[in-house]
Amino acid sequence: MFLALKEIRHSKTRFMMITAIFVLISWLVFILAGLGSGLTTLAAATFKTMDADYVVFEQGSKTSMGKSLLPGGLTEELAQMPNVEAASPMGIILASAVKDNGELNGNKVDIAVIGVEPGSFLEPAATEGEVLDPGRMAHVIVDISMKDEGFELGETFTLDGTTEEFTIAGFAENQTYNHVPAVYVPIAKWRELAFAAPGSDKGIADPVNAIMLQGKNIDPESINEQFAGVDTVTRSAAIQGIPGYKEESGTILMMLGFLLVIAAFIVGVFFYVLTMQKSNQFGIMKAIGAKNGFLGKAVLSQVFVLSVASIAVGILLTYGTAAVLPKGMPFLLDIKLVASYSLALLAISMLSSLVSVRTILKIDPLKALGRVE
Amino acid sequence: MTQGLQIISVSKYYNEGPDRVTALDRVSLRVEPGEFVAVVGPSGSGKSTFLSIAGALLRPSEGDVLLNGKNIAKLSDKALSDVRLHEIGFIMQASNLVPYLNVLDQLLVVKRMAGKVRAEDKAFAERLIEDFGLGEKKKRYPEELSGGEKQRVAIARALMNDPNVILADEPTASLDTKRAHEVVSLIAREVKTRRKAAVMVTHDERLLSYCDKVYRMEDGKLSPADQPSFAHA
Repeated sequence: MFLALKEIRHSKTRFMMITAIFVLISWLVFILAGLGSGLTTLAAATFKTMDADYVVFEQGSKTSMGKSLLPGGLTEELAQMPNVEAASPMGIILASAVKDNGELNGNKVDIAVIGVEPGSFLEPAATEGEVLDPGRMAHVIVDISMKDEGFELGETFTLDGTTEEFTIAGFAENQTYNHVPAVYVPIAKWRELAFAAPGSDKGIADPVNAIMLQGKNIDPESINEQFAGVDTVTRSAAIQGIPGYKEESGTILMMLGFLLVIAAFIVGVFFYVLTMQKSNQFGIMKAIGAKNGFLGKAVLSQVFVLSVASIAVGILLTYGTAAVLPKGMPFLLDIKLVASYSLALLAISMLSSLVSVRTILKIDPLKALGRVE
Repeated sequence: MTQGLQIISVSKYYNEGPDRVTALDRVSLRVEPGEFVAVVGPSGSGKSTFLSIAGALLRPSEGDVLLNGKNIAKLSDKALSDVRLHEIGFIMQASNLVPYLNVLDQLLVVKRMAGKVRAEDKAFAERLIEDFGLGEKKKRYPEELSGGEKQRVAIARALMNDPNVILADEPTASLDTKRAHEVVSLIAREVKTRRKAAVMVTHDERLLSYCDKVYRMEDGKLSPADQPSFAHA
């Protein structure tokens, strides 16, 4: 640490430059991570916050809600299966809401209408207002983001292209699906909306899109064997099935991966070149008795100090950026994500500097004296 | 226990392709505490090999090197680096200071290498710097020092670990005559007052008058030289 800090203090410009580069990289890593998690949350918040462990789809639906159709009566039978603690149906259609404020084409908002059993574990906890009521089919719980569009508690809106009117009974947090706010309605109401056209229910009684199961030890195989034509997957597999989800998160993960590799090379190469430049110096110190460990620690602690400082500045800049980002931009960076990417960056820079440590091991104090005969 | 540095019939061979080159040929030398010995000779004569072996940088092919009675001829690399750290003070040509450490830290880093810097180490370093007339410059960096000052810092650094043996490798190579005399007389003074066994390798024959004994190295063989009658003194 002694040598490391003394040298940083003495050659400020040199170390400022590498710090600046590393700050920019970590800044970009955090912003991408935040945008990535913001996007995926927007795409799948409903599923991510949902208190279910497994999802039963129709076979062949490729775990996509839109392609899957199951009879609602299956719910009772599934609930009887071993290890299943609870089962509840769900249905989703995409629609748009029109505000009833008299304005022509006033305020249209894309929404996902999600049908659930009132009072089931699928109903989101309302942070404001009331819960769903089977007696009042037109009272709905909506995602809090609709507030930003000007929707208020108790306000009514119409489903575009229909005469259906809904009243906002409550708001819930983190309820988006496929990038649009979710509107929770009782599942009976949802059926009316989803299967308004004759024959669209394919003759299935009480149709639903999927049935969510609670129970940590559920064996999906046995359920698939017991019931013909179903496909049981974990909740995370169901999230992967949301349209566009895989593609979105894959793209961002790839960029993050590249960034981390680039960070490794930049830090590694910088310290390697620096170490090569100083090989004479290291040789002299070896000649007066410095051990490999002493010099290796000097390099590693230098990398450590610079990395930690750069990452810290990167985090500050990221939160600064997040504060000025437009509201519509999905950005979600929780402490856990920040911590894991910080550790990844730190680990990568430390690992890449091991190349320099290896170089130090090979420095011969005799050669550094420049007098080998 | 024998004090000082004792080299007994040391040989060093290098393999150059199929040939075996003899860099040192059964060299023996004894330096007592308080004795300042010079080794002169043309370049390529084996002076540096000799100094590297005496300085625990290189192991001899044959023979023994006794430092205060302890044989260091067959130690491991790690043990050799310990010997360098605790028993030997090296004064190199061109001073070879660490560019980003100030004068005080140049000395303290030697203690850092061995572990912690204690208060008495710091006091010792300050006293050395004072003794060497560098008190004003103890917070200066090498780039702010003159050649003579740098070499004085290097001598102070070599004394920092309170070694038994001091080895100087062409300590005056980059200095003018006046500075060269200053530096070598300083080494001679320290060797006498601190009772160190010292060996200086040089080809600068003007400075031999400061030394108690002079040896001449030629083709790997060491022989006593006549006392320098050409000295300036």
